[in-house]
Amino acid sequence: MAPNSDARSAEGIFQGVMYFFRPEKILCLYQITLKEEVDPGLLQAAQDAVLARTPYFRVQLVQEKRETFLAPNDRPCPVGRGSRPPEIPEETNGYLFHFSCEGNVLWFSWYHFIADGKGMSRFLTQVLEEYCNRRYGAVFPCPELPSSPFYDPEELFARFPGCDTKNDMQGEVPAIAAEPMQRTLLRLDRETLIRRALGCGVKPFSCLTALLTLAMGRYLDKREITYSYSADTRGDLGVPDAFYNCVASFQGRTEFGPVPRLEDVVQAVDARVKETLVPENKLGRMAEQMNWIYRVAQLKAPLRIKQRVFQMGEYLGGVPADFWISYLGNPFSPASPELMDYIQDFEVWVPPDGASMGVETASINGQLILCIQDKTGRAGLAEVLRAVMEQEGVRVLEAKDLTPALA
Amino acid sequence: MQRSEILDQIKTILEDVAEISPEEVTEDSVLMDDLDLSSMEILTIVADLEESFGIRIPEKELRGFVTVGDLADYLLAQEA
Repeated sequence: MAPNSDARSAEGIFQGVMYFFRPEKILCLYQITLKEEVDPGLLQAAQDAVLARTPYFRVQLVQEKRETFLAPNDRPCPVGRGSRPPEIPEETNGYLFHFSCEGNVLWFSWYHFIADGKGMSRFLTQVLEEYCNRRYGAVFPCPELPSSPFYDPEELFARFPGCDTKNDMQGEVPAIAAEPMQRTLLRLDRETLIRRALGCGVKPFSCLTALLTLAMGRYLDKREITYSYSADTRGDLGVPDAFYNCVASFQGRTEFGPVPRLEDVVQAVDARVKETLVPENKLGRMAEQMNWIYRVAQLKAPLRIKQRVFQMGEYLGGVPADFWISYLGNPFSPASPELMDYIQDFEVWVPPDGASMGVETASINGQLILCIQDKTGRAGLAEVLRAVMEQEGVRVLEAKDLTPALA
Repeated sequence: MQRSEILDQIKTILEDVAEISPEEVTEDSVLMDDLDLSSMEILTIVADLEESFGIRIPEKELRGFVTVGDLADYLLAQEA
């Protein structure tokens, strides 16, 4: 379908364009286990009801020679059957997200291009609430979801005048591994991790990140680990209801001796995390990243050249890391004990993005659920994670290497 | 391909990307200082050269491209 040029939009996907420029298509996958079998017909009706009042997601991706943008999509948006994530948008009628189900499990996948986890959570939650209303006679109100307009990137750049200088040939970065993907699932008792963090006087996120650097150091047999993480910037930018990607990403580096303990590294990680969470620092970093994306997007060059320039620039800008940690927290928004009455379990799987390993972390039912995708080609990550967590007094509920990898 | 042909190709791309006249370019021209290229322009030139020569230049090589001659040396080695 040829898009109406008046309806095209490149604004809302501006930051998401980096996912289009990356060599791998970054498809996120949520696996939600309900307490009872999922009715696909009711799920379809629930999705359609929410989609009808949320035009942000009623779109398709259009690629031209030099640019890509979103255009309205009025085709049906079918709910699938089974666990295999479809190719998005090729197998989804152009939509950039997809629901499917089988037995008690519901899968929700989307192309990171369109939204980040925070942006998707309100949409997902409302589809689940609409489903529960239909399936169980629940009374979730399901109001229309507000959508913040896009912020002015040039205004952001003007606020941080040095934001265009950070991608100029920086220091050495670790090589990103490219072996066949493996998966590892780790479930931690949230309470013991929080107690461990409080004991060290640090944020729980810092504690978890520091523990992971210890584990990854042992797993990779390295004395220095580079990690990446991102921070939500919606509140700082004044766009609390943004569906679009709205984050700043940071890198940190930890060095340690042959037998490191948490106390040896956690204060430095915490200092780094706290420094980067200062609103002005978050926005300054976002300005640097967005300025680079903005300049690449404006190149008068074919899309494939822009993609390649972006990839090389990310490398030179020091983006690659040994592992990436993303903390989703409670994946449902607004958080609702009533909705949790219907939900048994949750996993989130996202390919490593600018790193050799990707660690996605969600928190429900008193657990921290870490879903790790690993391109290093090594074996035994679950065993290493269990050993490090238990050594540091964090209770491990489950640690297992999964096969096969997601398609 | 001869070294002179590779240099001509580089000059053509420099003219296309950064509007630098081929007469202003020598093998010793330093990309950032002499030709006043930004990192974005250098990466665009590298991406164009990859297309022209049908190769993929590993990112770890990028910091070695200081002069036009460095680019020519690398491309010539790939031809060998």
